[in-house]
Amino acid sequence: MKRYVSIIIMAALAWIRCENRVTSPGVTDTEILIGNIQDLSGPIKELGFLIPSGTNMYLDYINAQGGVHGRQIKMLIEDHGYNPQKAVVAAKKLIEKDQVFALYNVIGTSTTEAIRPILEESGVPLVAPATMSGTMSDLSRKAGHLIFHTDAGYDVQSNVLVDYILEQNANAKIGVVYQDDDYGANVLKGIAEAEERHGITIQREAYQRGATDFVGQTGNLMKGGITDVIIGGIVREPVTIMKTSQAMKYSPHFFGHAPTVDARVGLLAGDAGEGFTSCYFAYLPDSDKSGPALYRELCEKNNVPEKMRGIYHYYGFATAHILVEGLRRAEEYPTREGLINGLETLNNWESGTYPPITFNKNDHAGVEKIMLLQIQGGKQVAITGWLE
Amino acid sequence: MKGRYDDENLKWIPVLILAIFLFPFILKGATSSYKYYLYVLNIAGIYMILTIGLDLLSGFTGLMSLGHAAFLAIGAYSSAILVDQVGIPFELSIFISPVIAGLFGLVIGFPALRIEGMYLGLTTMGFGFIVKRLIIALREWTGGSAGMPVSKATIFGFTINNDWDNYFMIYSFVIISVIIARRIVISKLGRAFMAIRDSEQAAQASGINLAKYKMLSFFISGLFAGFAGVLFAHTSHFISTDHFDILLSIYFIVMVLIGGAGSIYGAVLGTLFIVLMENLFIPLFKDGLAKYIHLEAGDFQAFIFGFIMLLFIIFQPLGLYGMWLKIRIYWKLFPFNPRRRST
Repeated sequence: MKRYVSIIIMAALAWIRCENRVTSPGVTDTEILIGNIQDLSGPIKELGFLIPSGTNMYLDYINAQGGVHGRQIKMLIEDHGYNPQKAVVAAKKLIEKDQVFALYNVIGTSTTEAIRPILEESGVPLVAPATMSGTMSDLSRKAGHLIFHTDAGYDVQSNVLVDYILEQNANAKIGVVYQDDDYGANVLKGIAEAEERHGITIQREAYQRGATDFVGQTGNLMKGGITDVIIGGIVREPVTIMKTSQAMKYSPHFFGHAPTVDARVGLLAGDAGEGFTSCYFAYLPDSDKSGPALYRELCEKNNVPEKMRGIYHYYGFATAHILVEGLRRAEEYPTREGLINGLETLNNWESGTYPPITFNKNDHAGVEKIMLLQIQGGKQVAITGWLE
Repeated sequence: MKGRYDDENLKWIPVLILAIFLFPFILKGATSSYKYYLYVLNIAGIYMILTIGLDLLSGFTGLMSLGHAAFLAIGAYSSAILVDQVGIPFELSIFISPVIAGLFGLVIGFPALRIEGMYLGLTTMGFGFIVKRLIIALREWTGGSAGMPVSKATIFGFTINNDWDNYFMIYSFVIISVIIARRIVISKLGRAFMAIRDSEQAAQASGINLAKYKMLSFFISGLFAGFAGVLFAHTSHFISTDHFDILLSIYFIVMVLIGGAGSIYGAVLGTLFIVLMENLFIPLFKDGLAKYIHLEAGDFQAFIFGFIMLLFIIFQPLGLYGMWLKIRIYWKLFPFNPRRRST
């Protein structure tokens, strides 16, 4: 009799244990499915290829070590062509059809904003959206509690750049050249905050996305006697503005937001780009920190072509560290709530790729520090430590 | 005396309508991913309403438009502002917002009195750019280029909470749109449109006021697009200028051409074909075909899309509806079909 009772109790305990294995969609005993939405066919499709490629390099490295809690991490990639409507369709497909556990690295501001209602409805977390818009870490917005932002926002970058310029020259006259879209709006948010803090006025010059002629803006900056120009552009804009200024015999100090850290700025601008200062919120791929060292090692091991290596490929690699750490901190049988709670326990966590990262219930802006890098002799050199 | 519709077989229409409303139930039983498919169908439904209007303008009146994404945007932003900021009920917004888009259509109709063809296309394309800049400039209401969130639609006290509810609302409006468009086509108005398309001089000689009917065509087309915009805004729950780019306008033209310009059913078929092709069929065969055609993932879709369009233009210029008509005529004449003679 005792034997039967003990068998029943054992079976009941086993059943209870099985019942406790409540997992979210996208998780099996052997696999965790992650969804990524990139621009594979639109204006920044080059990034759409490089970023996930860097991520997959790190995920392959983690999977080769046994994965997370014994599960391999698999990433599905959808294309939005930088169109918010297509981003919504892609998010619906990944969540409803492919049943991914979480979304990760969705690229673009308007595309990420467009999928907020879906995140809210489904409760799917989004880790490290690939956009520097400060709105991503705004917890008051729809699905704000589900988004974990790892890029320092453009507003934060603008604030730090203005502080740095005034620290170097208290009498500096600052101007900003910004793209008249969501990127520029976030840049101007930071500029307005800096103006208020320092009691100064910053000259604003707008340009349309895709503009190639900056003679008007440069002329206005010249007329305004601007000594320091902040360029809210990507690659073509800082290069053209600096070349135009050189041709117009106007030589202020030039600064740029994080997208201008691309090595092509220095290469294309030539001597006009000498002294150009950009900012970034992660250790650069050639840094001696543990993350970049592993990056270089894996690039060699996987024979990653030289032309692929760089800031965007590395970006995918760096943000994957945060995703993997979040999955590690989720329970053994992970749920979406577990992932959210796990990420919110990151407190000055050293990833080796980013400055210390902190997330908690009231703060989803993981990184709010930037480092300034200057082109000296055609090479990018770090001129500061982490600035807040 | 023969009625207006007596030469058409309308028996299948109630069956088709019943099938449309039963389809979600079949889909739900067939797959657990039905919500995704319903969303794709909802977007197709919204675009159908727009392309029906575009077909009235391009297919029936012969006026080219490369700015219909702008009319969609006007409808979407008008409704988002009216419902969420002014506080007007959604039921009223579905009447007011399309009229606003229609009035913009009237404005665009003015240049159509003097220019035509490619030049009119360029003008409407310019209109698209102006609307985009206008949305950015009016950032206090529209949120500028950062976009704006839009609330869920509430119709007669019933809130459209999900894609399931939305399907029934959208397809009810699609059916109403098809009926209205069909009525327009067979009315005096529709005949005037077609007369203008076939020969402006002949139409004018017959007493048709070109200015009036061209502007009316733009107005009606704007109404349809604006109405689609209202549904678009309250389905997407977020709108931004990036939603309404020039490529979307070209996409609408392609839908009308593939369906068969000058046919309301064609516009519906063409839209459904393109949306399903893009979201369901191409992704399904992409991986298999990628083994044989070496292209980057993003370019693959564009390649297949372009290839299909090319096939249509070369082999089936009358579009899907033209194809259906040929099949129907063949079947009616069977087995007495005239043989093709080689000359």
